Amino acid sequence: MRPYVSILLLISGLVLAASGQERPYFVTYDHHLEEPGNLEIAAASTVRVPREGQRAYIAPWLEIEYGITSRWTTELYLEGISTKDDSTISTGWRLENRFRPLKREHWINPILYFEYESINEASGIAKEIVGNAEISDESNAELRRVHAHELETKLILSSTVHDWNISENFIVEKNLSEDEGFEFGYAFGVYRPLSSLASGHACRFCRENFAAGFEMYGGLGSTNGFGLKDTAHYFAPVLAWQVSENSTLRFSPGIGLTDVSAPALIRFGYSYEIHGFGQKVARLFGGHS
Amino acid sequence: MSRTLIACFVLTAATLAHSQSTAYHQDPKWQAPSEAAAKPNPLRDHPDAAAGGQKLFRRHCAECHGDEGRGLKKAADFHLPAVQQQTDGTLFWKITNGNPDRGMPSFSRLPELQRWQIVLHLRTLASPPAEAGKETKPDSREAPNDKSPTNGQPDKNK
Repeated sequence: MRPYVSILLLISGLVLAASGQERPYFVTYDHHLEEPGNLEIAAASTVRVPREGQRAYIAPWLEIEYGITSRWTTELYLEGISTKDDSTISTGWRLENRFRPLKREHWINPILYFEYESINEASGIAKEIVGNAEISDESNAELRRVHAHELETKLILSSTVHDWNISENFIVEKNLSEDEGFEFGYAFGVYRPLSSLASGHACRFCRENFAAGFEMYGGLGSTNGFGLKDTAHYFAPVLAWQVSENSTLRFSPGIGLTDVSAPALIRFGYSYEIHGFGQKVARLFGGHS
Repeated sequence: MSRTLIACFVLTAATLAHSQSTAYHQDPKWQAPSEAAAKPNPLRDHPDAAAGGQKLFRRHCAECHGDEGRGLKKAADFHLPAVQQQTDGTLFWKITNGNPDRGMPSFSRLPELQRWQIVLHLRTLASPPAEAGKETKPDSREAPNDKSPTNGQPDKNK
């Protein structure tokens, strides 16, 4: 492992995960899609505090999110991992798409989510927890040899109740590279901004710039054995701070709730939103904006 | 892997260029339900809250509607009587729901009172009558024609 690579990954995680009225969740999705034409670049990291016999790691990821239309958002992830006393490697990429089937706001707003993952078994960003917890102390070199092509779908249900967002995600994942059956998982989150009114002046530390809440997520087994047995679950307070018009910082210390969960998954990130990116690109290609 | 990745990028770029090239036309289907249109602005007695609305407007709306709300690209000009004659409730409903067919996103992620603050700010954009008369001539940026029961009536909430 090259120490400077780890430092770069860590800095990118610190410098790049949060945006204007951005959801503070790391795992749970709500029904708010990226505004059409906007591009958001985010960097975040998951730090695993290990159980005895495991190694600590930091798994950073870069996230590029684009609003294609007001009902379709696409997102590309590039991810890696740096494991203590081991190595720093790339763990693959993911491409996700979220679709909003209903035009208007409703009491419950469904979003359909489809993701393709081309990752290896060393992946540690834990963007979702599905199936049963796997306990492995193999090295990154061994784990990266096991490649996985996975399809993941989510049903996202999300509601706005006064200033509160309440979201539930139901996850089904299929590993196309190995016969593991269909794996299931869930995520549930609640958050609200700390102030309902916007002040009339520009400010960095106003309450309106902060959103707080919590999320819970975990696995529900698979078609080979549905249920809570040997599954990992986490409870994670979440906090987002809109640092500027375009950028947001997020932080979430997740606590493991079962024996097979890691004691803690600590996540942090920064995001930067480029407004009107699509229009600028369209002009380059001779389109009208 | 890299070929697949490049293919994904090319597909996304093409979709992106295609999806950003239409001009604004009013959408007669974009109507607030009468119940929503009749909602009063809870901040109507707090005109000072409009300053926060202006800040929110510049953050979330100015990209398409312009800093002064004159309407850019395919978005409406808020100075037009056709917009100003709509009720507070109608404007609130449109901000909340958006109009996905025409590229207007939903802003339901903003707290409810912040959306009402934006409505307050929109009211400050009303043009003086003489100027408004000039602006009613046909324009590609014409505001959506709201046919809700309260459309065209003086706003009771102002």
